[in-house]
Amino acid sequence: MSPLISLGIVAAVSVATIVFALASTRRISMSPQDYIVGGRGFGAVFLWVLLSGEIYTSFTFLGAAGWAYGYGAPAFYIIAYGTVGFILSYFLAPWVWRYAKERGLLTAPDFFRARFGSTALSSFVAVLQCAAAVPYITLQLSGLQLFLTIGGYGAVDAQAGAAIGFVLLLTFIFITGLRGTAWASIIKDGLVIAALVFAGVALPIQFFGSPAKMFDQLLIAHPNMLTLDGYTSSRGMLWFISTVLLAGIGFFMGPHSIAAIYSAKDENVLRRNAVFLPVYQLVLMLVFIAGFSALLIVPGLTGPSVDQSFMLVVQRYYPAWVLGFVAAAGSLCALVPSTGLVLSSASIIAKNVFGDLFGVAEHPAARLWLTRAMVLVIGLLALGLWLTYKKTLVDLLLIYYNGVAQLAPAFFLGCFWKRTTTLGVTVGLVAGVAVSLGLAAAVAAGVISSPLGINAGFDGLAVNTACVIAVSLLKKEQEPAPASS
Amino acid sequence: MQRLRFLLAAIPVAALTVAVPLVNRVEPRIFGVPFLLAWLALWVLATPAFLWTIGRMERRW
Repeated sequence: MSPLISLGIVAAVSVATIVFALASTRRISMSPQDYIVGGRGFGAVFLWVLLSGEIYTSFTFLGAAGWAYGYGAPAFYIIAYGTVGFILSYFLAPWVWRYAKERGLLTAPDFFRARFGSTALSSFVAVLQCAAAVPYITLQLSGLQLFLTIGGYGAVDAQAGAAIGFVLLLTFIFITGLRGTAWASIIKDGLVIAALVFAGVALPIQFFGSPAKMFDQLLIAHPNMLTLDGYTSSRGMLWFISTVLLAGIGFFMGPHSIAAIYSAKDENVLRRNAVFLPVYQLVLMLVFIAGFSALLIVPGLTGPSVDQSFMLVVQRYYPAWVLGFVAAAGSLCALVPSTGLVLSSASIIAKNVFGDLFGVAEHPAARLWLTRAMVLVIGLLALGLWLTYKKTLVDLLLIYYNGVAQLAPAFFLGCFWKRTTTLGVTVGLVAGVAVSLGLAAAVAAGVISSPLGINAGFDGLAVNTACVIAVSLLKKEQEPAPASS
Repeated sequence: MQRLRFLLAAIPVAALTVAVPLVNRVEPRIFGVPFLLAWLALWVLATPAFLWTIGRMERRW
């Protein structure tokens, strides 16, 4: 009976959200302009909802609690990096928006094509963003799978959970567009905040008396867990600083985040969002408290299973309907952000690689079918990664940031430094991706430990930036000669 | 003016990154929350004030 109640709630909430999203988007024509950047008419509230909807994902729900449970203080990077991202976006986003508006740009690679005049470069950027999107979607699929498996009291096994999650995800994407996503976010955020207040306030009060008393007990059981361990150790202080910077810089570099910037009504909407959205990050305090409470209540989980910690507490100690609503909130957290990311990744491949580079599928109807086919391909790749690569949700998210953050030097320097050259950006990107992937792979394989404990993506970012600047400066020296003769 | 704006933006960034080794401890606890976590949360909460001030200086609002 219990699995029926909880999974029934998950199903009902998912269907209700799709219906709500459909009802609010029905009258809008679905041109690419509308489908991808929402007709460029999103005001502050709507954009807030859209951005927060894309930022608070099943990763926030499970991954942050899981890392708090498994590692303690290193998880705190999650509360810091978004704020760094918003501070950077205050300066960068209005510039990018204006540049895109003046030229009618639709996608992130379009920016590279317009600014650096190279279709090869913009195609490379499209492929990179799309590749980085795959682990991110895998993260959301693992999230869905956990919600369905634990929500079903084990009636749904992991493989079946992932398969149902995959079908649910594609259904959601094909039915709603970006605008539908923003509406769906409203339901999602309401449910999520209710679930997190339950997890971060009600749960510790019930088990320990108050969140503060929970920390007392945690410090007795694990005295070193709430501070970082040394400078250069793995997940030490240098790791923390480099990861906050890497993820903060990468925060707005995903294809969906750039699409969200383009979809703003005017520049000040973006600035206002940058001012107020950091407050939303405080919700993470509740998530950490939930993770720490779970550590005291259901100790002993290790490896990727730490992600289940908080859901297991709900499953064991609360009635089926509570579990159902928490799982439903979590499932929306996986579905809604994935929609924006998969759609924008699929559309950049359809437009910037197939359209601009190979000149196929230029007709809108053909483009739409190609985009749908790409959605399927990305979904299948993510499912494949889920089957082969068992890591925690945070590890999956960090792969995503390692990839997309490499676009940041090109964006920042392209915006604010006139001398940035196409060659410089290309060399920087290739070097940055090579260094961060190479280092990350070597560390993961246990060949080396990461130098000084610094996040490999950050090393890649530093090499990338140095290459862009150095190569761009070379070009300038040679340029005046032919121009003056 | 330009410098002051960037300085204002740099303060919370520094507080959330390079300042971490200075605040990497449990005591004093703020409302029971260990100091490192409380420090990060307080700077997240303070950031809107910094960005809003920058916006005022630019006469955006």
